[in-house]
Amino acid sequence: MSPSFMSFYVLMWPAAVAAILFVLVRAFGGEWKKARRLGRSLV
Amino acid sequence: MQLQQLGTPLTLFLLFAFFGITFLISLSIGRKRENADNYMTAGNRVGFGVSAASMTATWIWASSLYASATSGYTYGVSGPIHYGLWGALMILFIYPFGKRIRSLAPEAHTLAEILYARHGRSSQLILAGSNILGSLLSLTSNFIAGGALIAMLSPLSFSTGILIIASGILLYTLWSGLRASILTDFIQVCGMLGAVAIIVPAVYFLAGGQAIFEQGAVNLTAEQQSFFSSDAFFNQGAPYIAAVLAYAIGNQTIAQRLFAVREDMIKPTFITATIGYGATVIGVGMLGVLALYIGIEPLDGDVNNLVPQLAASYLGVGLLCVFFVMIIGSLASTADSDLSALSSIMMADIYGRNVAKGKANPKLMLLIGRMTMIIATGIALFFASNQFNILELLVLVGAIWGALVFPVIASFYWNKVTNAAFTISVLSGLAVFFAVRFEFVQLQGALAIGSDVLASAGVGVIAGLMAFGFFGRKVGLTLGVVAAIAVLPFGIGFLHTYPVLTASLLAYAVSAIVCVGLSLGNADLFDFSTIKKRTGNFDKTEVAA
Repeated sequence: MSPSFMSFYVLMWPAAVAAILFVLVRAFGGEWKKARRLGRSLV
Repeated sequence: MQLQQLGTPLTLFLLFAFFGITFLISLSIGRKRENADNYMTAGNRVGFGVSAASMTATWIWASSLYASATSGYTYGVSGPIHYGLWGALMILFIYPFGKRIRSLAPEAHTLAEILYARHGRSSQLILAGSNILGSLLSLTSNFIAGGALIAMLSPLSFSTGILIIASGILLYTLWSGLRASILTDFIQVCGMLGAVAIIVPAVYFLAGGQAIFEQGAVNLTAEQQSFFSSDAFFNQGAPYIAAVLAYAIGNQTIAQRLFAVREDMIKPTFITATIGYGATVIGVGMLGVLALYIGIEPLDGDVNNLVPQLAASYLGVGLLCVFFVMIIGSLASTADSDLSALSSIMMADIYGRNVAKGKANPKLMLLIGRMTMIIATGIALFFASNQFNILELLVLVGAIWGALVFPVIASFYWNKVTNAAFTISVLSGLAVFFAVRFEFVQLQGALAIGSDVLASAGVGVIAGLMAFGFFGRKVGLTLGVVAAIAVLPFGIGFLHTYPVLTASLLAYAVSAIVCVGLSLGNADLFDFSTIKKRTGNFDKTEVAA
């Protein structure tokens, strides 16, 4: 395995983690705004 | 290489800031009169963002981060995949069963409670008992991980570390139960995922970047350099596949989130948590791969020291603080879920369904839940301070859950399964498991061949159940039979040489065969619609208001 492939293999996981974090934060933000608008608790 | 330390004031500041913020968040949702059902299920209508974050946070615990890195260090490039991928799939595989369970009992609090409605007391208590044991061990393991981390990165002692961790978690979970657990999970998951996204690339670049792989390949064996290492598969991956369904079915923490999330959001929640867990755990596992390439020897020969050691070797104080918060976040999110799961089992399964028998007092129920959390924390602190080998016990509990998988799933789909069939099949599976796992029986000669044939059937049961969840009975049955037959020629004379794997497979096979055998002749068919009526809410206060 080439060093550049291994570098990609190691770094692709934190990149995927960052993408999931973005999805979660965006969804949470939307739910938080909606809950505030309706005067309800998030949970 | 010198290890960076945080120092006592900075460590205490980070701990108090972390637990202080989570406590303030839990205060923001505190109610003067908490509803007993919401304490256990958060009202059954939590949205996608909070649920997916909570599911991800609950399943990422400190031990899984350490174990994935250990797997990378031991088995090389494929090691973290054989740990993280199967761990992630355990979340995905419960999704179809979760949908079925929610449709049968929309207002249930625990899986054991549904078994009470489906079968009766003995089935319920078997599952509840295994849940209590599993959650207590998980809680202890998280306290140990926290204490060890604090002892390694600061001058504070292990005992001081576990005491601060246990008090901090109890403080914010005690009042609002699951509602506090899932809301604080969001903050914890942000800390964890954010830290992984920063720390893995940081260690990679600070340790030399691409040069690590150019110069370090000599440190790896041919097996460690292979993505298709049979060593990694048979020692790490295969036993994990056997445990995948067992953990998903047997663990109350995941079931609790299943009952909390809005019913139409179950699918996206499970898929997002699967990807989130997999990427995070495999990502941290890459630290073990890097350590192997660099040629690092674990401190005191203990591979559990590998991740903190790597962080302390290459990260400055700022990034070390981020790393510290990542580990504390991972253990706190799982530990608060365990506390919440334990309290729900005591509230619903022990008090609600067995002691009060339908006439539960919601105030007393809440008191029981909170007292359970305090007592469980005390027990876990005792275990942690004695530093038992919890991980081995936890693997054992996972294997015990293997005997429960088929009878539990069959009970939710097949109207012929009886309470006797459930109980006898689980106990038979456990008996065979213990006999093989602890080598009370020597697998030699005809017994070894018989064991290999049954273990191959166990592979068929696992493959069949996984396919059944997604594609239905015909595909499940076909795939199960094909998998068992396909494994048979390779399994005979081979599988019994892996006793840990064989014991788990036998637990699956024996419990499934006995359950089917005892249920087939039953003419008294169960009406699944009755489960909904028998698993309603205990506390009507909020509805009345």
